[in-house]
Amino acid sequence: MLLRLWVPILASVCLVASGSPATAQEKSGIKPGFVLPQRSARILLIRPTIKVGAQSTGGMFEPNADWTAQAKENLAVALAAAQTKLGNEILIADEPIGPAATTMADYRALFSVLADSVIRYQFFVGNRLPTKKRKDAFEWTMGPGVADLAKGTGADYALFLFNEDQYGSTGRKILQAFAAMAYVSVKSGEHKGFAGLVDLHTGDLVWLNADLAMGGDVRTPDGAQKRVSQLLKNFPGSSQSAAPASAAK
Amino acid sequence: MRALWKVLAAMAIVVAAPLAAKGDPLPTLPPYAGAYQPQGMDERGLWMMVDEDERRLRDSKAVVSDPKLQSYLHDVVCRAVGAPRCDSVRIYVVRNAAFNASMAPNGMLVVQTGLLLRVRNEAELAAVLGHEFAHFELRHSLVGFKQKRSATDVMAWAGVAAAGAYTYGGTGAYNTVRTAQSVQNAAFGSIFAFSREQERQADLLSMAYLKASSYDPRCFADLWGRVMDEADATARGRRQRSTRYDRVAFFATHPATLERATYLRELAIAMDKSGEDGRARLDAAMVAWRPQLLADQIKLNDFEGTDYLLGELAGAQWTADLLFARGELYRSRGNPRDLVSAAGFYRAALEQEPSNADAYRGLGLAQMRSRDPAAADSLRRYLAMKPNAVDSAMISTLIQ
Amino acid sequence: MKRTSFSIFAAALLLHAAPGLASNTLIPSGVPVAVAKSPLTVTPDREWNKMGARPGRNSETWTIDGDGLNDVTFYGGIETGRTLFREVSKKAKPLPHFSATMLLTDLPTLFADSYSIALDTQLMTIDSVEPTAFLGQKGIRFAFTFSRLNEEVRRKGEAVAAIVDGKLYMITFEAPDVFYFQRDQPAYRAIVTAATIAR
Repeated sequence: MLLRLWVPILASVCLVASGSPATAQEKSGIKPGFVLPQRSARILLIRPTIKVGAQSTGGMFEPNADWTAQAKENLAVALAAAQTKLGNEILIADEPIGPAATTMADYRALFSVLADSVIRYQFFVGNRLPTKKRKDAFEWTMGPGVADLAKGTGADYALFLFNEDQYGSTGRKILQAFAAMAYVSVKSGEHKGFAGLVDLHTGDLVWLNADLAMGGDVRTPDGAQKRVSQLLKNFPGSSQSAAPASAAK
Repeated sequence: MRALWKVLAAMAIVVAAPLAAKGDPLPTLPPYAGAYQPQGMDERGLWMMVDEDERRLRDSKAVVSDPKLQSYLHDVVCRAVGAPRCDSVRIYVVRNAAFNASMAPNGMLVVQTGLLLRVRNEAELAAVLGHEFAHFELRHSLVGFKQKRSATDVMAWAGVAAAGAYTYGGTGAYNTVRTAQSVQNAAFGSIFAFSREQERQADLLSMAYLKASSYDPRCFADLWGRVMDEADATARGRRQRSTRYDRVAFFATHPATLERATYLRELAIAMDKSGEDGRARLDAAMVAWRPQLLADQIKLNDFEGTDYLLGELAGAQWTADLLFARGELYRSRGNPRDLVSAAGFYRAALEQEPSNADAYRGLGLAQMRSRDPAAADSLRRYLAMKPNAVDSAMISTLIQ
Repeated sequence: MKRTSFSIFAAALLLHAAPGLASNTLIPSGVPVAVAKSPLTVTPDREWNKMGARPGRNSETWTIDGDGLNDVTFYGGIETGRTLFREVSKKAKPLPHFSATMLLTDLPTLFADSYSIALDTQLMTIDSVEPTAFLGQKGIRFAFTFSRLNEEVRRKGEAVAAIVDGKLYMITFEAPDVFYFQRDQPAYRAIVTAATIAR
């Protein structure tokens, strides 16, 4: 029974406790033994959720359309560049209509539950499920039906992206200083994203990166590049992912 | 810390928006601006968010996809606010048994099924949809957003101060925490007080729409009167105090309903205008949906409120669908006397509509729980009338 | 450290209710295990994780990949006048109570109404109902479909229930309609088949 408040870990939080060992958390995982075929992978990018805005003193998200539009453009350019460097081809999915739209909505919804589950029950050490504790274990799947999303595109993988940026306002930064005196950590700004790669032949999640504190100002092209390199940190086939383990950072 | 309190308290007071004086004159209908595009940083950001929300809502499983119902509702909006205005509205009917509707700044109008169940005629529906449209025309979401931002700022400060009080301890700590909570509450309250003022403005503008429409303007106050009584019945059933009369509940986002019903009625009387109620059109549009909406209401485990609502929907004439719903309601509470009452309601429903197989089911199950030997006969009739029912095998085992 | 925990407490008190953490434990395959602090005993045919958080006094939840993806919940003897699980808000959203005088056909309704109130959704339907034997008694098996408020995942589920000595015993399963329901249904059914009650 799913009764407990389903507090999304990725939801914006006004104040967070600092320094507590219970918050120790891993940031990425990769399926053991998985290797992305070099220089040949065709990756379908699922319509990314990208939101950029400011964070007021009270922690409320103030959406900013200009920043978001800039960020979408910058991130798309940076993403294409990063993948070309790896030798992969990024396909942008057309916006589906009719029954295909329902299928897309179903899988996007399933991905968010899946990513939430990975973060909650594997990355979050204190709350890890015993069957997910075994060495190098990273067994998560969306089921083989996910291949329907890529019908006719020839894609081998689907890449799901989520990115939310809130830049701290001046008031928020002053609050942060006061809060430190009260032993409460107030985050000024929230920069979080997650990215997951799904094998369209098996439906398995082969890689997930969920970073709740990211760098790079996505409002600028350089910053977006830095962000993409962070989002794709340990991306299969990139140089950092030499060790295929659910590496704690 | 003390000095900070004074500042915080002052901030909370500044944030609290003054409520407008009673007896505002009805606004004259402003000229309609036509296809509006968002201006400025805050507004464009807000539109971006709701555009994304609308994209999600469009594919949502909670949306009732019935093009006929949607086009009927669109016609009602047009009859309520006039043709050029209603063109910009997109309507989404959402399966939610609570009485509500909302309009986003980009023209997305969300109508909950709980509203559709409660309006007794088209004029009442038009009044509520006109009220939502008035928020849209007055661009309230944007103003509300700016207000909410300053109020949440105060709350964050108060939270930090309270944490500090715990940390540094001392005899005053408890009081400081209490003060922090009340400052937070005051700031919360100001969000809602502000929202109450917006509601009043929207009420006034919607009455101006009604004045220009073909509808009877008195309907709006009628609806509020019943909503108030239903809330009272719910509270009574749950052994809670009534929230009506002129007290403004602290967290209420809307004006106290009695005050609201009163000023709406005064405005309607001052207009000295009669009009149609469009009941036949509403009934025709809802006929396919009412059994489902009644079933949703019964699931809420709100016996008194639902019983009141059914009575109001019936008025002088208990129709078969309402009698059946009342039977289901009484059977679900399941006290021995309820089971006897339920059986009576099912029988009355069957007198009007002998082909209602589900009424035989309800009758049989109520009789069985009362250990009435007539149960088997009722259930056999159900099975004979609906041999492919999802529970036919289960019901058969009950009468073996 | 003490100071920190106090401030965490204050912050949580004022701004956020922190989700409680209780440890999750391994349920090995093929070993009989008593569940839900009750006389109910089951023998699973694969490994499961028992969630640290219980939905109510006489219940417990098992999962394979997290309760959003697969969830088996045991209700071990709900008494007359009790709700199926902890109430979110007794005042604003009271849940219906179980009664020993209920017929088996009242149980799907009790379950569906409890879910739709607790999860704030009208999207909860009972798809099929049939008689079955459960714990050596006449029981009921039913299938259901639901979606939570503001979450676009459609979940399917199945339940078996019986009233034993005036108390409700029930084992439910739910999972996303996409892939997970079909994949994990056999493991759930194996648990139900091997369930026994000590009397």
